[in-house]
Amino acid sequence: MYATYVIWNKHMVKFFRNREELIGLALQSVLWVVLFGVGMRGLISNVEGRDYMSYILPGIVALSALGGAVGGGMVMLDERLRGILKEYLTAPIPRISILLGSATSTATKALIQAAIMLVVGVLMGARLALNPLGWLFALLLLALFAVGFSGLALAVAAVSRSIAGYHGMIFLFNLPLLFASNALYPLNVLPTWMQVIVLLNPTTYLIDAVRSLAFGVEATLPMPLSVAMIALFAALGTWLALSLFQRTVRG
Amino acid sequence: MTLVWVQTKVLVMTELAIEARGLVKRYGEVTAINGIDLSVPVGMIFALLGPNGAGKTTTISILTTLIQPTAGAARVAGHDVVRAADEVRRAIGVTFQDIAVDQDLSGREVLNIHGQLYRQSSSERRRRIGELVDLVQLNDAIDRRVRTYSGGMKRRLELARGLMTEPAILFLDEPTQGLDPQNRVGIWGYIRDLNRTRGLSLLLTTHYMDEAEALAGRVGIVDQGRVVADGQPEALVAALGADVIRVRGQGADFASVADFASVVAKLPFVERATTDAEGGVVMIYVDSGSRRLAEVLSVASGKSFQVDDVTVARPSLGDVFLHHTGHALRDA
Repeated sequence: MYATYVIWNKHMVKFFRNREELIGLALQSVLWVVLFGVGMRGLISNVEGRDYMSYILPGIVALSALGGAVGGGMVMLDERLRGILKEYLTAPIPRISILLGSATSTATKALIQAAIMLVVGVLMGARLALNPLGWLFALLLLALFAVGFSGLALAVAAVSRSIAGYHGMIFLFNLPLLFASNALYPLNVLPTWMQVIVLLNPTTYLIDAVRSLAFGVEATLPMPLSVAMIALFAALGTWLALSLFQRTVRG
Repeated sequence: MTLVWVQTKVLVMTELAIEARGLVKRYGEVTAINGIDLSVPVGMIFALLGPNGAGKTTTISILTTLIQPTAGAARVAGHDVVRAADEVRRAIGVTFQDIAVDQDLSGREVLNIHGQLYRQSSSERRRRIGELVDLVQLNDAIDRRVRTYSGGMKRRLELARGLMTEPAILFLDEPTQGLDPQNRVGIWGYIRDLNRTRGLSLLLTTHYMDEAEALAGRVGIVDQGRVVADGQPEALVAALGADVIRVRGQGADFASVADFASVVAKLPFVERATTDAEGGVVMIYVDSGSRRLAEVLSVASGKSFQVDDVTVARPSLGDVFLHHTGHALRDA
């Protein structure tokens, strides 16, 4: 899978070179923490016994992972629309390594984003639980989640006809994934119909698990279920990306 | 400059670099190509000449393993393009119709990554980049971002990328589209040199007649998904006759330009007469234009065909195209 590495590496070089994208993504996440977190903190002193910043940070981290994945999908879309994909397709490399290269670079970007957020959040007053093993496990779940959402973004990138079309479609996923989840409010304050939707959203499981692992908030969902749902999401995202990608390159 | 070209051993056994039989590609109801036959000997420059939408890019996409044919078969460098796609990929270099290079990388990085995809060792890549940068004269620009390149420089970089892995066969899809005359002639020079000094086989597509005439040892004229004529440019032109008299005008007694053409065609010294209905022009192929001009014009005046304009010239590939397709190839 040397070709996967070559493509991953190229995408990362382009990522670190593209300052606008880097700064934009980082600032976007910081704005969330500062504007939303700090603002709401004045209104809500604590949720389920934790300060609000610690409560919403996992959600914002998940959001920034989404942002990273959207950026990763853009790279593949850009390469497809510009015809750079053809360079890979006429090279003696397995087709799957092209997708894997894009998927790993996308997930890497999502993780980097999430990590930046975590640091900003802690600086802004979120309190991590003293549980390094829990942090590690939380990061692992975050990585799985990033893979799942990268798959979604790449699947959309594989079929979009234009950059505007891609962003339109992604927006459709982006908003409900954040707001129809437990990212900003606890599950038990929601009406039943909304709870059903929220429980169908993989973000909910990620956030619940990360809250309990890294921030010491008591889990409202069973941990094995959360892990299973996140893994399922990762598998589904990957499968979707794979099948749509193969459809595009078959010609 | 010491370029070492690995002439793939496979090519020694078969004398054809490219061989296609009955290639068909359909997209639902739309037939992009409808039975393309090609045979390109090793060491030849072959040009597919035709208007946009004739099926040239589809043909090149099949031969370079980008897409699979609906029907028919093709062998490139002796390997089947469907069943042995990876062997074909290892033997060829490709440049695409629309410039497709990463804007955010430097020229050197573009070439280096390309070599990595083909698993060239780092010393091999370094050597090759050095040679190619000299060849396409990008010495000053190679470490700059591609974003800052002009169109001609991007084309040259693409050409270098296509040559990076020392292919036996190079495919160029519209290699000079959108370039200014100076850059066009430059690209032509590289292509001729590569072919003459390294024995590289080339298949290129173009909708410029002068490009096909200037470069190709053989031309395949493509129209509506078929190769309608195939041969040496000079032979294709010579088959039409020594000279062509082009008469533009309108008929009085004659219902149309076509009728005038059919009368002229019966004259003993006329080899053939064709019309370009759109332009209202009759092309009369004769043994000697200057000698026969008066006779042709006397037929016109005798039949009250009002002549607006007359030219006498040697036939061109454009006339060949018109003759085989019934319509003119107009540069887009």
